[in-house]
Amino acid sequence: MSTTWLPCGDYHQNYQQDHAWFQTKFIKGKMILLFLILFIGLPLISDSYMLSVWNIVGFTILGALGVQLLIGFCGQLTLGHAAFIAVGAYTSTLLILEFPWPQFMLDWGIAYPISIIIAAVVAGIWSVLFGLPSARVKGFYLILTTMAAQFITVDFVLTQYVSQIGGRGQAFSLPPGTIKYGPWVIDNEIKIYYMMLVLVILCTVLMANLLRSRAGRAWIAIRDNDISAEVMGINVVKYKLLAFFVAGFLGGIAGAFWISSLAAISPEHFPWFLSLWLVGVILIGGVGSIHGAIFGSIFMVVIMEALQLAVMPLADTFPKLLMDFLFIKEAAFGLAICAFMIFEPNGLAYRWWQIKNYFNLWPFSY
Amino acid sequence: MFNRSMWSKFFSLIFAVILIIGFSSMAGAATIKVGSLNDMTGATSDVGKDYALGIAEAIHYINDTGGINGKKIKLYQFDYGYRIPEALTKYNLFKRLKCVAVLGWGTGDTEALAPTVARDKMPYVSASYSGHLGNPGKTPYNIFFAPDYSTQARGLIQAWYDNVWKKNSEFGKRNPRIAFAYHVAVPFANSSVPAGKDQAKILGFDVGPDQNVTLFAIDVKSQILALKQYKPDVVYHSNTVMSVAATLRDAYSLGLKANHLIQNWGFDENLIKIAGPAAEGAYGCAPWAFFGQDVKLMDKVVEYAKKYNPSIPLEKRTIHTLQAYASALGLAEAMKRADKAGDLTGEGILRKGFETMKNYEIGLGMAPVTYTSTDHRPMSLVRVYRVKNGKFNLITEVDMKKLYPDKWANEWIGW
Repeated sequence: MSTTWLPCGDYHQNYQQDHAWFQTKFIKGKMILLFLILFIGLPLISDSYMLSVWNIVGFTILGALGVQLLIGFCGQLTLGHAAFIAVGAYTSTLLILEFPWPQFMLDWGIAYPISIIIAAVVAGIWSVLFGLPSARVKGFYLILTTMAAQFITVDFVLTQYVSQIGGRGQAFSLPPGTIKYGPWVIDNEIKIYYMMLVLVILCTVLMANLLRSRAGRAWIAIRDNDISAEVMGINVVKYKLLAFFVAGFLGGIAGAFWISSLAAISPEHFPWFLSLWLVGVILIGGVGSIHGAIFGSIFMVVIMEALQLAVMPLADTFPKLLMDFLFIKEAAFGLAICAFMIFEPNGLAYRWWQIKNYFNLWPFSY
Repeated sequence: MFNRSMWSKFFSLIFAVILIIGFSSMAGAATIKVGSLNDMTGATSDVGKDYALGIAEAIHYINDTGGINGKKIKLYQFDYGYRIPEALTKYNLFKRLKCVAVLGWGTGDTEALAPTVARDKMPYVSASYSGHLGNPGKTPYNIFFAPDYSTQARGLIQAWYDNVWKKNSEFGKRNPRIAFAYHVAVPFANSSVPAGKDQAKILGFDVGPDQNVTLFAIDVKSQILALKQYKPDVVYHSNTVMSVAATLRDAYSLGLKANHLIQNWGFDENLIKIAGPAAEGAYGCAPWAFFGQDVKLMDKVVEYAKKYNPSIPLEKRTIHTLQAYASALGLAEAMKRADKAGDLTGEGILRKGFETMKNYEIGLGMAPVTYTSTDHRPMSLVRVYRVKNGKFNLITEVDMKKLYPDKWANEWIGW
């Protein structure tokens, strides 16, 4: 078998080959090129504004991955994911501000990285709590229970109690220099970008690996038909809760990352609309695909920003255009979801798969 | 006829051209660029629309009257829908556009951006008057043109205590009772509550249970029923006008016997229109003149409202237009001073602009403003009005600095 090109037909002789990350040298080359673009190319051509847009894309990907896992892979409809992102953000912030870290940990800049991991675990556990009803309810009823997560977590627990810790009132502000990775103080867009990139890659790899594991196969079986899955011997409740844990874990990482962008948080950063937005992202990107979470995030953030830049020259003639743009953007969000549901129900990921196949099979695509 | 493929190519081409034009337009012209974040569609759009109109009209007025020492201001004004991620992206866009200052909006995003604007040395004139923003030790680049919310809360409670409670037959026999009705989860609404409770404690009030009234509230009956159990003498409101009007209406219909104290964003011309008789007797803080009142610059405010937004009848314009003028004119004055000093940078605007203002009179019925490098609270005077026969009547002016000089200087900064 060629090690450069994947030939027609299946020549794999063992599972290792089947599940290899890079099945051919060509694919490995493409991935190296992608990494070079992401780590060197994009930062070189992006100014701080563009980097901030990429950072919002990264935040959206981190949030959407959890939603994709729950909805796209495990079939558990959720509309409360912003709550788990909020738990991650608050846990990380409070750990940085309130925890008595030994001085050497602060000096070595490991307090924030550790806080990210703890934030992810806490958000995962919190998510499991709100996943418990999934043992008994599904579909629209589950949507309502996950929405409760939003109201209980953000409007009640975080606002009434957590935000009062330290007597700061509602908003927490992180002093400069506290968000630190080893010797690097995360204090500008380029550093946030690289942190985002590492986190997105790690989370994507984590999720891709989980989906190739026993848990991933169980989630997909539950999504496709939970009764059949149970008949096959899958512990449905256990795997549903595991899905909630992993989704919350990813949301927690997203939240902990978010604080690096602003060095401040308040409950207003995590409105219910964010949960809805994340569902919209995976609907447009493609339900049931990791690519879907990534493409959806890029579409929803970059395309909207690019459109806004595009209308700016017209603002001299039509001054209200800039002010009305958010309204247009909201309408475009709704329209895009409708359009994708009608014309491309499998989302951008499916279109990507088609394009990729066209080139992979060229010139004999039949 | 175009087939589907040709249509898609056509639209792709148009899209690409628009993008190229858009990106190429980022090259700067010789004007002073200012960004403005406004809320036209979000939780505070009930008061945000008029403010946004006021900002645009004020910048036209500034440009028509000589600009910044001859240089025109180019305004980039965006609706961010009261959403913080949107505010962050827009703020970064302002940086890319090389804006020298930003006219901001809400407390949530202003406080969230405070560390970033301090790092970027970007003067940020907000429509949030949160007391947290008045301490330059923590938020050095945040400026606002009004008594901060905490001072408003203290002033309103003090004014009610002096003018109403002291004349009450039960004065001296029992403690007055106060309760707070506000959107607990929103930093704007709750930022003045700790100071309000502190002032209540100073004056010997009993403080009742907080009532969570959202900014979107249209039915506040359960909260009013809870208040009726507590029987407050006075209720403090710190939401925006739609929510406050809904609260007053339900309080009126359910017969809550209490006075109402309302922070500036809930106390505008629309309150009387929406709440009707329920607004009668309500007390509120208005640091600026109401739209159409006979004060310095009002003729210009009305003229520019007619000129640039003729489709909006003048009777629908509100005090928030005046607030917007205060922010824009204040920023323009700071930029003029910095420009004269040859330092039209973020730091220059702050140090050689804002922080050189000593008892500076903007007009618009405002008290004079003063900023120093150690105190960004622009004023200590709280003007308290009362609604009577559908009109606003000035009841009293409370100067919190004069009443509590030690606390003002040492304790209350940054509350």
